[in-house]
Amino acid sequence: MKSPIRLERRLEQPKWLNWAIPLISLVAALILGAIVLLATGKNPWDVYFRIFERGFAGTRALSGSLKTATPLAFTGLCAAVAFRMGLINIGGEGQLYMGAVGAAGVGIALDGQPTGVVVVAMCLAGMLCGALYAAIVGVLRAKFNTNEIITSLMLNYIASIFLSYLIYNSTSYWRDPVSKNFPAGKPIADRAEWNFFEFAGIKIPLAFFIAIIAAVAVSVLYKRTRFGFEVGVIADSPKAARYAGIRTSSTIILVLALSGALAGLGGAADVGNFRQLLDGKGLQMSGYGYTGIVVAALARLNPITTVVVAVLIGGLTNAGFALQGPDFPSGLVGTLQGLILFTAVAGEILIKYRIKANRRVTTAVAA
Amino acid sequence: MKRMTKGKFVPVLLTAALGFGLVACGGDDSSTSTEAPAGSEAPEGSEARASAYMATGDPMDNFTPWADIPDSGTESPVVDCAPEEGPLKAAWVYVGPTNDGGWTQTHDEGRLAVQEALGDAVETTYKENVPEGPQVVQTVEDLIADGNTVIFGTSFGFQDAFVEVAAAHPDVCFEFATGYLSAPNLSQFYGGAEDTDYLAGMAAGAASATGKLAYLASFPIPEVVRGVNAWTLGAQSVNPDATVKVVWLNTWFNPAEERKAAEALIAEGYDVLGMKGIDSPSTGDAALAAGIPWAGYNRDNSANYGDVWLTATSYHWEAYLIPRLQQILDGTWTAGNYYGNLSDGFLTLATYGSLVSDETYATIEARLVELAAAPGSEFTGPITDNQGNEVLADGVAHTFGELMSMSYLVAGVDGEIPAS
Repeated sequence: MKSPIRLERRLEQPKWLNWAIPLISLVAALILGAIVLLATGKNPWDVYFRIFERGFAGTRALSGSLKTATPLAFTGLCAAVAFRMGLINIGGEGQLYMGAVGAAGVGIALDGQPTGVVVVAMCLAGMLCGALYAAIVGVLRAKFNTNEIITSLMLNYIASIFLSYLIYNSTSYWRDPVSKNFPAGKPIADRAEWNFFEFAGIKIPLAFFIAIIAAVAVSVLYKRTRFGFEVGVIADSPKAARYAGIRTSSTIILVLALSGALAGLGGAADVGNFRQLLDGKGLQMSGYGYTGIVVAALARLNPITTVVVAVLIGGLTNAGFALQGPDFPSGLVGTLQGLILFTAVAGEILIKYRIKANRRVTTAVAA
Repeated sequence: MKRMTKGKFVPVLLTAALGFGLVACGGDDSSTSTEAPAGSEAPEGSEARASAYMATGDPMDNFTPWADIPDSGTESPVVDCAPEEGPLKAAWVYVGPTNDGGWTQTHDEGRLAVQEALGDAVETTYKENVPEGPQVVQTVEDLIADGNTVIFGTSFGFQDAFVEVAAAHPDVCFEFATGYLSAPNLSQFYGGAEDTDYLAGMAAGAASATGKLAYLASFPIPEVVRGVNAWTLGAQSVNPDATVKVVWLNTWFNPAEERKAAEALIAEGYDVLGMKGIDSPSTGDAALAAGIPWAGYNRDNSANYGDVWLTATSYHWEAYLIPRLQQILDGTWTAGNYYGNLSDGFLTLATYGSLVSDETYATIEARLVELAAAPGSEFTGPITDNQGNEVLADGVAHTFGELMSMSYLVAGVDGEIPAS
């Protein structure tokens, strides 16, 4: 049986679609959400106002949203960088853990060093650990053509177990010896704690600025350099890239290492700016890596947009906690958030494709 | 290599992203919601029965202000967190969903009991599925901005955040379960679940034909270690050769992983399961599927696991919550430490399942009365650890401090406390 409609690829993508489709998606999400809310006896206007109020209105809401957004900006960049070359790196989660391990180690070790030195060293350590961990996926993909979705996902579980091992199952360097009875990470040196900067009452974490710098750097790398051009060629046609003499194998490894470095930087940010220790359990509960994939998808893999979308998702997440309560189960919050994400992602298809009606000639055949 | 072309791969990526994203964002509501208040009627046709013990003690006798605990180093002035007008707004912050069938659900049942007992004088709310991390401070600050003046936290990993917010809001009352840090406006509340764990262990030991039991535990912290040891001692009291294999899951709430671990233990031949510190009853689902006896934890789930249910430690947070909120309303609240027990109604032993014989029932009931009168006395020597060292000489009991920092496993436990 044939579907009554079909998707046809747009030969040209009109510019106005780029802003009209997201807007229509949002309106569609709000309308669908309103139906759900009305069906459960809530006033949609009140609910939407509260989401806006607690996610984005006022200095406290914005400060909180930026806090939640920062790790997502890094994992979003991690996903965007790899996906742009068609490498589905699902491993941002594990690469972030590894970055946190490296950064926490350095943060503990460099006790007494000047703040600037410690912050830079933590960033480098986080990036290195994330990059090496993702490079495993890259080498397997480049040399043995192993499916990177599977390997990167499986490495997340290994990183998870490794975190638990460091904090709960060993007297590792990362574990606080004072916390023998209540296993916890060892706090990093006081001077290793990253600052918050206040602008007009909004507290902005240092790591958020680093995320912006990283996004700009990735943007320049992909748009303005030979490396970026090669990535684009490989993404469009690996065969053509090989004929053109581009070394696809090393590019695959490099792109995944870069992707992992960005997630690792997110791990360093989590340790330096937010938790001040390696929090094995808390990191696993937060799921930054997986949410980052959504962030990248919504941002259409554009690095700068990724940071903006991270802030929106951060606000939406915080507003979700503010919204729920005895008469507003967290499942309903999840439904609303899911609807917004679903329509946004679904709308993306309409930018690249248009809907055409199939002629109803063949439908008589099927019952 | 088609997958590498942009046009084809975008839908794949979006589908994958959406799938993972929703899993990551949304809470796990997959666990079964259960409605079985403690002491509920047994299902027809079984011999399930409730414990006959009735608590008569006053929970406030088991509360000690920080100022009266010499090594707490914390003052405990009266904190007036009652509103000038209108109802007292109280909020709970949960790490799991309110229908987890275990830990969080017992806390929320406590909240509902408070609402019912104090009526219009209080207005309660909660936040569920809050991950341990930077969002906790934001969530609590939001609750205070909404006018809540007493905040309850119920996950160990929230502790640092609660201490931070408590320092920033000296006029708000904070209550925490379970942790160990103190502040002039931050209390800790918990109780001696080792007593009921011991009694549940008796039921488990009697139910085992092979004497090979297995125990799923969350983290190797003293609270959980006490449970492992007490459960083992209880099992050995009725089945002297019983050994208990302990498995650390390093998670509070992960129904899928809990169930997998339980299934692995069943496959290895352990014939009775127990658990501690784990929030969901997934272990019971595995036991039910395999048809082997199971001693639960957190709450009375006898109605849902009829054929394999033994009994369980069952929490009744309202025993503490109601008088404490009344103190706020009366303007007499001070911060301190609460450690409840069987005799003040904080803990009960859940409905006994039909697997518990008349004889075992009578033995456990008799021991229950003893432990209610002397909480913690199951840890009386001679006790040796599983390395062969003597821990307690004959007739010697642990001090409260020793119980609170327990870091050994008794003889008969097959396992170790990692890195201790």
